[in-house]
Amino acid sequence: MKLALVCDGEPGLGSCQRLAVELRLLGADVTLISPEVSNEHWLPLQPLVAASSDLLNGLDAVGVFLEGAQLTQFRQVHLESARLRGKRPCPLFTGPIRPLYGDTLMADLLPRLGYDLICLQGEAQMQELAWLVRGSQSASQASEAIGLWCLPTEPLGHSNSQAPLLLVLDQQDIPPSPFANGVLFQRLRTIALDCPSWQIRIQPDAPLKTEGAQEPTTSLAWHFQQDLSPPSNLQLGQVDDLAIALVQSSACLGIASPWLLTAMVWGKPTVVLGDYGIRTDFNGPLFFGSGAMYQLADCVPLDRLAKLKRPNHQWLAERGWAIANGPQRLLRRLEQLVERQP
Amino acid sequence: MTLQILLIADSDSQLLACQALARFSNANGATITVNAIPRDGTPEGVLKALELIGTVWTLNAQALLADRRLDQFDAIGVYLTGSKLAEFRSCYHRNCLQQKRQARPLFCGFNGVVLERFEEAIAWRLGYDLICLNGPRDQARLDLLLRHTPFQQQRSVLTGLGRNLPVQEQWERPKRLVFAEQVVMPAAASERRHLIRILTRLARRSPEWEVVIKPRVAPHETTFHTVDSHISHTLVETLGSPPANLRLSYEPLAELLLNSRLLATVSSTALFDALDLGCRPVVMDDFGLRHDLGTPFFAGSGLLRSLATAEDLDSLDGGPDPDPNWLHWVGYHTDFTPTNLLQALKQLEHSSQDSRLNLNHPGYVVNAADLSTNQLRRGAEAAIRCRDYGEARRLLEVALLQRPDNRNISRRLAALQQSNRWLRRLALLVTPRFRL
Repeated sequence: MKLALVCDGEPGLGSCQRLAVELRLLGADVTLISPEVSNEHWLPLQPLVAASSDLLNGLDAVGVFLEGAQLTQFRQVHLESARLRGKRPCPLFTGPIRPLYGDTLMADLLPRLGYDLICLQGEAQMQELAWLVRGSQSASQASEAIGLWCLPTEPLGHSNSQAPLLLVLDQQDIPPSPFANGVLFQRLRTIALDCPSWQIRIQPDAPLKTEGAQEPTTSLAWHFQQDLSPPSNLQLGQVDDLAIALVQSSACLGIASPWLLTAMVWGKPTVVLGDYGIRTDFNGPLFFGSGAMYQLADCVPLDRLAKLKRPNHQWLAERGWAIANGPQRLLRRLEQLVERQP
Repeated sequence: MTLQILLIADSDSQLLACQALARFSNANGATITVNAIPRDGTPEGVLKALELIGTVWTLNAQALLADRRLDQFDAIGVYLTGSKLAEFRSCYHRNCLQQKRQARPLFCGFNGVVLERFEEAIAWRLGYDLICLNGPRDQARLDLLLRHTPFQQQRSVLTGLGRNLPVQEQWERPKRLVFAEQVVMPAAASERRHLIRILTRLARRSPEWEVVIKPRVAPHETTFHTVDSHISHTLVETLGSPPANLRLSYEPLAELLLNSRLLATVSSTALFDALDLGCRPVVMDDFGLRHDLGTPFFAGSGLLRSLATAEDLDSLDGGPDPDPNWLHWVGYHTDFTPTNLLQALKQLEHSSQDSRLNLNHPGYVVNAADLSTNQLRRGAEAAIRCRDYGEARRLLEVALLQRPDNRNISRRLAALQQSNRWLRRLALLVTPRFRL
């Protein structure tokens, strides 16, 4: 099959890259499209330019991994340009590019309705899509669960650092107030002083929205940079080192980062920080049943991290971990779509 | 046997939910008392309507919790916002434990349709003996959320979306459309002006009809959401002077609906009031299916219409009925009424207090556990009053971890840590107590 995967920067970039590798292993010919990627494996095209480009004519299907209004525009532009050229539109498939549940999933799915196929992660998302379209004009929306494709789940090796390392996943705007981030930073600082045998690394979980910009005040990284004399065992990681840092870590802690799921899948002792309770804007509904939510006080001294209960495996399975053959499932559905084309 | 039930609410939406519950319960042999926690801006009309149904108390939460008359009731229904719900449950159970009183079954529910933050709302409600849900849709969402967790034993009951005793007889109603305004749907000023323009053009295309905008609250009243600009101001801003057949009305919604043929709304629960009262409902589709507007909830209703492109109001009046499968799914069906609650409460009488859901499990956090700092501090003060200093110290230690910067918590905790009881008493006297 000849396929293209379209995205617009992170987090779609990494997800599409990984999916392309899997699909190529299964024999598919995959073209990757994203603007401003200076890499020989990607075509540097704006999504809407790609939508109306002749490039799509020779393809069997296009995966559109954009978000929000761009999704509706892409489909609209592609259908209209195909109509004006008197050509058959290319089957379009799409899906959430991060692990979502509840309101955030519903909001993400609405602009994807009407695509030829929606790729979801697991049984829980399939259930929620069914409720969303039940009885509506979109009731026959095609969908397929293809597992946690948008996250790195393949093990990258196992090489714990010499000193035990706690990786703290830092999101740029969670918690959304500088004060709350400041309090959390101070607590981490105190823990670092109390546990000198441990390294604590504050690890940005995504690149800055604008290249070269300063970290926002709503990040732990910003508070770290304001600290004139941080404890020697409290460090700031580089965003590019995220995967390798997670491999080296002895435990991982975060509030709402998708990488918490990777940590769970990789078997790292994982803490979803529960001090803020279940809040929709902190992805709380997603992690509610994870069995990995603890208050920071439960983790001190840090040696307790190794003894924490493992995440709820049934919950993880329903979020997509149970699906091991996602790319095969996707190809099978795309083949059916192509066969049904007039 | 007649059940004696106390309902507790504060904001107007919650009082309206209690009103609906009280109507059905009275009709089914339960006796209802409502405690309306005093709050600025609560519409007087809502309180008066409640007085017509049952006894109304107006104690604040603290006085209510201390009131021994709570023991007279067979069950207590709590209709407050999330954190207050959890706080009430927690304080009530702690009081009962400390005073060696038997706790009455507690239940809670939702005020009409749950358009967003359902999971968060459940996380505040866990631990209640019963959670009232609207219908199978909510039940399915609750089951998925709690599946494979230690909370899957949480009891719930389907009480439906019926809000008024249904009107059976039909009569010739005036050609009137009631538009049920919502304060934040849509929220953007430009969209609210667009909404007004759509209604105005529809009124102009339908000169034989009257279009009545029913504001959610009067300008001096408040609801759960804060209002930047009242709809009456938006109307003046947008139109200057409206057409003769378009007006605002602050009459009670039920009275308007009883005397109108059509109700239109973006996503208000008033749609179900309209069905109860024999008024044909229409869901405004002009803003599309948007999560922030709550419109996806109505996607399968069969009631979505564009008011901007509708020929006139006669064409809307001749539209189809709501889809019965959708009505059943969301909870508007005779299978789902407060009668189910009364039956479930009777069954609860036979279950022991030991069957109460344990909210503390390693790896799981629920909002309903004693999580908020204020709740912890309030609990500590209650424990100090009962001279349970160990419990007070435990609660304040957790609060201090949550708010390490708070000096009052650390002072109060230091006072409790005094081993000499006279010094401790003195320190507790001079350190600031927690008050909300």
